[in-house]
Amino acid sequence: MTQLRSRLDRRDFLKLMGTFAGVSAALAACAPEQIPLPDPTQVPSIVENPTGVPPEPVLPPVPLGIIALNRMGYGPRPGDYEGFNALGSTDDERLRVYVAQQLNPDSIDDSDFETRYNAAGFETLHKTQDELYADHIANNPYDSNDDTYWQWYSKPAHELVDATFLRAVYSRKQLVEVLADFWHNHFNVYFWQDDGVPMLVSYNRDVLRKHMLGNFRQMLEAVATHPSMLYYLNQNNSSDAGPNENFARELFELHTLGAENYLGVRDPNTVQKDANGLAIGYVDNDVYESARAFTGWRVDDDIYEYEDGIEKTGRFIYYKPWHDRFNKLILGKYIPADQTDMQDGRDVLDLLANHPGTARFISRKLARRFIADEPPDSVLQAAASVFMEYRDAPDQLKRVVETILLSPEFKQAWGQKIKRPTEAAISMMRALNVDFTQLPGGIPWMCSMMGQPMFEKRSPDGYADVKEAWANSMSLLYRWNFAVGISENWMDDDEQKRIIRTDILGQTLPEVRTAESLADFWIPRILNRTMSDTDRQAVIAVMAQEYGTQEQLPEDHVAWVLPAMVEVILMSPDFQWK
Amino acid sequence: MPTTKLTRRNFLQGCSSAIAAMAGARLTNVAFAQQDSPTDTLVVVFLRGGWDALNVVPPMEGDDRGFYETARPNIKISDLLPLSDQFGMHPALAPLHGLYQQGRMAVIHAVGLNYDTRSHFDAQEFIELGTPGLKNTTSGWITRHLQRNGVSSILPALSTSGAPSSLLNFVPTVNLNDPADFSQWDNGLVVSQQTALRQMYSGDTLLHRAGLRTLDSLGIVSPLVEQEYQPSNGASYNDDELSQQLKTVARMIKLDAGLRVATVDYGGWDTHEYETDGNGGYIADQLGNLAAGLSNFYLDLDSGYTDRLSVVVISEFGRRLVQNEDYGTDHGHGSVMFTLGGGVNGGQVYGAWPGLHNDQLYDHADLAITTDYRQVMSELLTRRLGNTDIGTVFPGYAPSGELGIFRPI
Repeated sequence: MTQLRSRLDRRDFLKLMGTFAGVSAALAACAPEQIPLPDPTQVPSIVENPTGVPPEPVLPPVPLGIIALNRMGYGPRPGDYEGFNALGSTDDERLRVYVAQQLNPDSIDDSDFETRYNAAGFETLHKTQDELYADHIANNPYDSNDDTYWQWYSKPAHELVDATFLRAVYSRKQLVEVLADFWHNHFNVYFWQDDGVPMLVSYNRDVLRKHMLGNFRQMLEAVATHPSMLYYLNQNNSSDAGPNENFARELFELHTLGAENYLGVRDPNTVQKDANGLAIGYVDNDVYESARAFTGWRVDDDIYEYEDGIEKTGRFIYYKPWHDRFNKLILGKYIPADQTDMQDGRDVLDLLANHPGTARFISRKLARRFIADEPPDSVLQAAASVFMEYRDAPDQLKRVVETILLSPEFKQAWGQKIKRPTEAAISMMRALNVDFTQLPGGIPWMCSMMGQPMFEKRSPDGYADVKEAWANSMSLLYRWNFAVGISENWMDDDEQKRIIRTDILGQTLPEVRTAESLADFWIPRILNRTMSDTDRQAVIAVMAQEYGTQEQLPEDHVAWVLPAMVEVILMSPDFQWK
Repeated sequence: MPTTKLTRRNFLQGCSSAIAAMAGARLTNVAFAQQDSPTDTLVVVFLRGGWDALNVVPPMEGDDRGFYETARPNIKISDLLPLSDQFGMHPALAPLHGLYQQGRMAVIHAVGLNYDTRSHFDAQEFIELGTPGLKNTTSGWITRHLQRNGVSSILPALSTSGAPSSLLNFVPTVNLNDPADFSQWDNGLVVSQQTALRQMYSGDTLLHRAGLRTLDSLGIVSPLVEQEYQPSNGASYNDDELSQQLKTVARMIKLDAGLRVATVDYGGWDTHEYETDGNGGYIADQLGNLAAGLSNFYLDLDSGYTDRLSVVVISEFGRRLVQNEDYGTDHGHGSVMFTLGGGVNGGQVYGAWPGLHNDQLYDHADLAITTDYRQVMSELLTRRLGNTDIGTVFPGYAPSGELGIFRPI
């Protein structure tokens, strides 16, 4: 089979793989005739108690370096764990130093990544917002009936996906990458949202990455005035004559106060006020009033090609003829009629960004990302206090993140999350020290098969950050298949222009050649810790096949079986926790 | 081993013994549902995007036909296939008209999510969670149904399009579009890898349980990978996404592995522009695919399976009565649902008709809702799925009377 494989292109191979696996499974299905069939008259269910979800068992603790590298980044590359441990003499000291480095990314030498980035030859990612709009939307040189038009139109966004994978795998500024992913999902914009696909590059760089260690209020306005969001949530069509509530609703429900502060359809006069006269939560009326406040916030894109005062720059514009000039009442605050340009909307952003409910909601989501699916109240209270105290500071969000990462809860929790599919894929690439510059299309395709194509969450809530969303059969199966594809070097593009290489044998010491020693070499190499003895024996058994576990293995056996053993480590539950 | 020559019986024996073998002592309690399963297999076809109910089942006669034609000068549908004195079906649905006339399909009109939203996202979520107005619900309505009834089979739930909210937090769900995709990539050592995985995933966390579930599912599905599927009764499935999903569902039902629920998605109904070209055009193509898919699915399963089959076709809302300037329609309110199956009291249009006069419209714009979608589901649960605990499946909801869409099982 190994001989056959080298002569197949990937597409043939993908077809055949299904066949091979099927045959194997069918053989397995029919082989063990000595096992008696279960007696159908007295079989209880395999799902014995579907209503009561058992409490999740607590996993044994792991060293702090493993927690830090898996939760503040996409998992360790070879040497990262040792590097973390060299940062100080105690766990606390190491964590403090590491967090300080990661929160000051400009101080990190990232030249290896930068070399790769420059070699990748991206053509559009350097373009400004204006250039992206002019080159890829307003003045697309191709005929819109041809594929070339749409390729040129979507090229920047595709390059952004490739660059994001490249960063996540190779950049040493790992926390930056995790935060960029967090904030894209928080202020989600769908890759294929109408009208502004190329602008995603600017949204990612000029809004999310620019502000994510900065000030939330400033970030909020940058989001609310960017074409990507204006198009995605229909704010671009919202006028006094036909207000569209889509953006306003998600601004409350997803971006700031969160559904946890939604008090439903009820009279706003019945909502309790805090000491400053501010409503403690929001009702539908606040959404509708806010939709009015944002009317006229749109893109300068002259979609109808006859509007006065509208050009085709692709920039944000406040279009006064569409603005609802009359007074509004939002969260108990009176907003008078005929305010100056944009003031109505800015008042709403002020109210939301300074609301304690927002502080709790943002802190909860960050703690969910960095600590546990259900983070302890103590840490989100601490983070929310910092959020409020530094709400006018230029490094507010950096302080909030720092509070979470240096909290006792961060150090204590382990295994209350699993890696999401894209994280799992990237962490496998990092663990195996893969080599690529231009990303083969099979990598993002595999992430789609796992249910998480990058930037392609269609609805505005972003990808779920809890394990329930990802612990399903199709998603897990393709996580396992990814381990196989990446370890066996099956992920190259058909035409072999974009290749990704994993040299497992080359990373293995030549004197390590028994099944047991190979397992004991690769388990800590990937996990930075041991496995349970039974799991370790399972790994050894894969490596040994028909040989003894302490027997010297022939080179051709090692060359063939070693990747399969490494795959099993990558597929194991131990590799999925974080 | 020439698996293509396996009979279903052989397959089932091989498969269950393999699962038992792989599981060792821990998983010997594997049961396939008996063929005389006491309740129906439910298939939910969700049409994402909000289908234009008023062009799917338009009024045929009377004042409402007049209001309809006035509101839709460029996109009205004619030459309808009659369903009653009052309503007809879009001619592109012809393949379903026979099933309707045979009493195997029913239509529920002016039905939907009785909640004030014209957002796709909200409406789909509310319908699937079964809690209108509440998006934080941690389980889908089908999850709660299956949990309430208990699950005893190896393949209780199948989703052919991702992880739908209706099955939120139902761990035993198998997600796959096509058995051809559902195989473990093999470097020649997959059997020993699966042995190792079965050891490693023998634990009590959600992840462990999902891992074992995946291995069990491979045991069920992988043998199908290289088999050419032969539908029964000369049924043939088109290549579009809906038909391919329905084909997968039919294959899984015929495994007799106790499939209780399957969810299928078919998108592309958000027809804001250029909806029709006479009786043809975009929506006719969509409806043609729907009708071809469902009719062949039904034909395929009319080989001993339709007596225990209930299909529900639902969309998140209907569309505005008045066409827009782009020969399309914008988001509306009231919708239409189809039910198909051996237990359907078919050949009828159910639901009170609110009328299309401006004063009769929801918000003076859309078809009003006179039947809550949960009414239809409740009758289904009670009559066909053996679950009378509607309060658990749809918290806070109690059906009002009964339309009689389904016969008791």
